[in-house]
Amino acid sequence: MKKSANVVIIGGGITGCATAYELAVRGVKDIVVIEKQYLSSGATGRCGAGVRQQWGTETNAILARDSVKRFEGMNEELEYDRDIEFKQGGYLMVSYTQNEWNQYKKNVAIQHSLGIPTKMITPQEALEIVPHLNIKGLIGATFCQSDGHANPFHVVDAYYKAASRLGVKFETYTSVTGITREKGKVTSVQTSKGDIAASMVINACGYAAGTICKMVGFELPLYPQRHQALVTEPVEPCQGPMVISLHHRLYCQQTPHGSFIMGVGDPNEPKDFNINSSWEFLEDVARQATTVLPLLKNLRVVRQWSGLYDMSPDANPILDEVPDAKGMWVAAGFSGHGFMVAPQTAVLLAQKILGQNCFMPIERFGLERFSGGELLLESAVV
Amino acid sequence: MRITEHPILEFQRGEEISFFFNGQELKGFEGETIAAALHAAGVRVLGHSHVMHRPRGLFCAIGNCSSCLMDVDGEPNIRICVEKLKPGMRVETQQGKGCLR
Repeated sequence: MKKSANVVIIGGGITGCATAYELAVRGVKDIVVIEKQYLSSGATGRCGAGVRQQWGTETNAILARDSVKRFEGMNEELEYDRDIEFKQGGYLMVSYTQNEWNQYKKNVAIQHSLGIPTKMITPQEALEIVPHLNIKGLIGATFCQSDGHANPFHVVDAYYKAASRLGVKFETYTSVTGITREKGKVTSVQTSKGDIAASMVINACGYAAGTICKMVGFELPLYPQRHQALVTEPVEPCQGPMVISLHHRLYCQQTPHGSFIMGVGDPNEPKDFNINSSWEFLEDVARQATTVLPLLKNLRVVRQWSGLYDMSPDANPILDEVPDAKGMWVAAGFSGHGFMVAPQTAVLLAQKILGQNCFMPIERFGLERFSGGELLLESAVV
Repeated sequence: MRITEHPILEFQRGEEISFFFNGQELKGFEGETIAAALHAAGVRVLGHSHVMHRPRGLFCAIGNCSSCLMDVDGEPNIRICVEKLKPGMRVETQQGKGCLR
């Protein structure tokens, strides 16, 4: 392994790999990505893989809107030899309560102000988009056709290959054991394969970002939250959009392969690093999914897994330099939607680090908002 | 072809019944698997692979491998190697991956 580097990126998920690429493509040499296991072994490879622009805060909506454009051209842009499987079947966000519907109206107003073409539709119109939707008690839905989902493993692979061609080195199965500071500046990273001298470190470890920050004595306001998911046997295509019901805590999509991927959030999930799978989840998700989408009742489950959201207090990411550790940047706290915003998060971070003009104000994602600043409270998280 | 006498095993077959395979009436014994009845009737190709469209026959015979999925009485992706035969069953080979209805 290299003894020194210009930039060390910790975390080989979508955020780490995309940031490595965006820095390299802007001319940064000597970048090393350190990954504890294999690429996309953390939250990226365990996520629901959705890509939506229908957010309730401007910050999330802008990142997602611009990332969709990147996903659309990603195979070509990254000269990927496979396919990231970006399917723009839309996102149908269904609302079964008046409170939720009122919130959706506010969210859609924000989305329209940013040019995101979300439509507010009636239950009957929703039925035309998803014929097997249960519209009993449905008040309305919002639909955005250009939302969709992509294959996280392929997206990471695309960034990995593109970054490698630009000279980025990836060290997998390598753990970070410590970070050294001198006079308030980061100087080196200790790993299980040796030390790397570096004046810039990017902490893109998702739920483990807090652990890394503690190495320089900083408490990151993040907490891990387990989310479980399952995948079914494949059937012929019958559901275009990702269906989300916040009321049922459910999301459910059909992949291009034909299998359904779905999950439900558990409001009683403790703040813990536990990623075991539970039978309670199977019962819960089956009940919610067959309530909203009764057609799926006979689908067989192939496998279940779980992963950890890196929850920030306002469900918006943290993109900032750590106080008292100059050169150490945090890109974490994505709160369950890091995958879909990663292409533009990486651009924003690279622009900031290199002193270029940022396409949106990065200060909004700063750490100061947790110590007296204004929080960016996001309502639309599953 | 069926084995009628075996030095060790005893066959306790149910009643002879008829069922339909792709619209054609076939005979089998109640209580045996759909796959056993089809095999006895000489059916060897149970489906085709999704990508290369090559024929697939009975493989694991214990419900693990997805080689024998068929549409049974309107329900897709039935593992016929473990699903028991019933009188009048409508068994259809599946085009593609099976359709939810």
